[in-house]
Amino acid sequence: MISLEDVTVAFDGFTAISNVDLRVEQGEFVTIVGPSGCGKTTLLRTIGGLEEPTSGRVRIDGRSPEAAQTNADIGFVFQQHTLFPWKSALENVTFLRKTAGNAPEADAARALLRSMGLEGFEDARPKELSGGMKQRVSIARALHLDADVLLMDEPFGELDEITRDELGVEIRDLWRRERKTVVFVTHSVPEAVFLADRCLVMCGQPGRIEATFDVDLPEPREEDVFGTRSFQEQVAQVRQTLHENYA
Amino acid sequence: MRSRHLAIVGDVVYPAVALAIGLLCWWAVAALGNVPSFVLPSPTAVGSQLLENSALYAENAIRTLEKVVYGGSVGVLAGFVLAVLVAYLPWFRTAVYPSLVAVRVLPKLAIAPLLLIYLGTGTTTAVVFIALITFFPLVLNTAAGLDRASSAHHELLRSVDAGFLERVWFVDLPYALPDVFAGLKQSVTLAVVGAVVAEWVIADDGLGFLVLIGSENVRPDVMLAALVVLLLEGIALYGGIVLAQRGVQQWLGFGSTGRR
Ligand SMILES: Nc1ncnc2c1ncn2[C@@H]1O[C@H](COP(=O)(O)OP(=O)(O)O)[C@@H](O)[C@H]1O
Ligand SMILES: [Mg+2]
Repeated sequence: MISLEDVTVAFDGFTAISNVDLRVEQGEFVTIVGPSGCGKTTLLRTIGGLEEPTSGRVRIDGRSPEAAQTNADIGFVFQQHTLFPWKSALENVTFLRKTAGNAPEADAARALLRSMGLEGFEDARPKELSGGMKQRVSIARALHLDADVLLMDEPFGELDEITRDELGVEIRDLWRRERKTVVFVTHSVPEAVFLADRCLVMCGQPGRIEATFDVDLPEPREEDVFGTRSFQEQVAQVRQTLHENYA
Repeated sequence: MRSRHLAIVGDVVYPAVALAIGLLCWWAVAALGNVPSFVLPSPTAVGSQLLENSALYAENAIRTLEKVVYGGSVGVLAGFVLAVLVAYLPWFRTAVYPSLVAVRVLPKLAIAPLLLIYLGTGTTTAVVFIALITFFPLVLNTAAGLDRASSAHHELLRSVDAGFLERVWFVDLPYALPDVFAGLKQSVTLAVVGAVVAEWVIADDGLGFLVLIGSENVRPDVMLAALVVLLLEGIALYGGIVLAQRGVQQWLGFGSTGRR
């Protein structure tokens, strides 16, 4: 469970996010959507302990983010894949777990890569993989950590739209099986709605959470959800809230 | 498979043919062109000079090699340490880096006579001199290389509470490797040049010294023989570094090309 109490983050006097209160339940999939510069990345980094709150408090399962890091309980997926070019896909997946102090399990890592559609690419170097495949590897890397909390910062931001949709379906499906606590940042409204149990709209300067939507969509969520009326109505609602609050 | 085989044959055959033609031209000019042997000795004359005095050339090749290896090792090690300080201590970088970059344009061979005043003649002075000139390429390349990893890579490690040393070992150093080796290649080339200059100015042995003696006695065959040995020595040293790079990067998983 993630909890933020009255969290403000400022950089040299510039306030990026202010007075954010947030609770994410164990096993919940929360998405955060908002325009560029509204502080989504800052919020996610603060949850993950990469940024110190200027005031307020962040707790992950009752502990500080630093303690959660030490315990390998936080799995980050960044917008850039951050794979090491000299390591194979499999080595990239096992590397982080090893560095976190847990014994890597090559078979589990292989199975993960297979479940992400990367069978046969275990020994490929990043330069031999497409953008979508690289991002799949970095998601597998975060999952292999076996962290309770997955923090994803626009992981599909540099991918084409078809690949985004496909990966979205896969991520939601993975989540259904693993029930991790996920916070997923995006600036794509359809993506935010499709993936979420709960979708938060962030706006403003400094950024704050403007609205919360409980998403109601059938499970399992497949591609056909994109075409449904219910999905499109919820997307329209979120979009309207975003525009109303666009400064 | 067949074309690959042909390509490899081509890689060996073409340069060999070019070399043979070069030697043949040399021989033709020297032997048929009626050029006196004290101006241009034929390749065969240089060859027999080498063979008849092989002990002399071997002995002096070792003297030169010693200077290159000792001086080069000191310079490279010191350069590496300084690069690490520049990369990881911001105040040190601010203080020292501008001077390092500025000194880069100085023709460092010109400090040899200065060292002669401070340290006198001898091998030690030559070693110090070579250390000084091999130091610079290594510092600049390595410091740049250690900066190459992105902050996102560092944060990935930070997110699992990895320490500073893990970051350096697992991220910064692998990213810097191609730069370190680029620095080493420049250093080794400079070290051989430096050894020869040192043997002219500071020391009284080695292949550079043989070139000097040959010049004073108008013996181009001695000079050319010494140059041939020097060339082979330089190629061997450079080749050693290329092989070391290949080994290290393959071990790390860079792939056989050694490219990133
Ligand atoms: N390390 C930092 N130093 C100074 N300003 C920062 C820093 N990180 C983010 N900011 C500023 O905070 C604001 C929010 O940034 P960010 O969290 O990256 O927004 P988003 O991810 O929503 O695009 C931006 O105006 C950005 O310039
Ligand atoms: Mg961002």
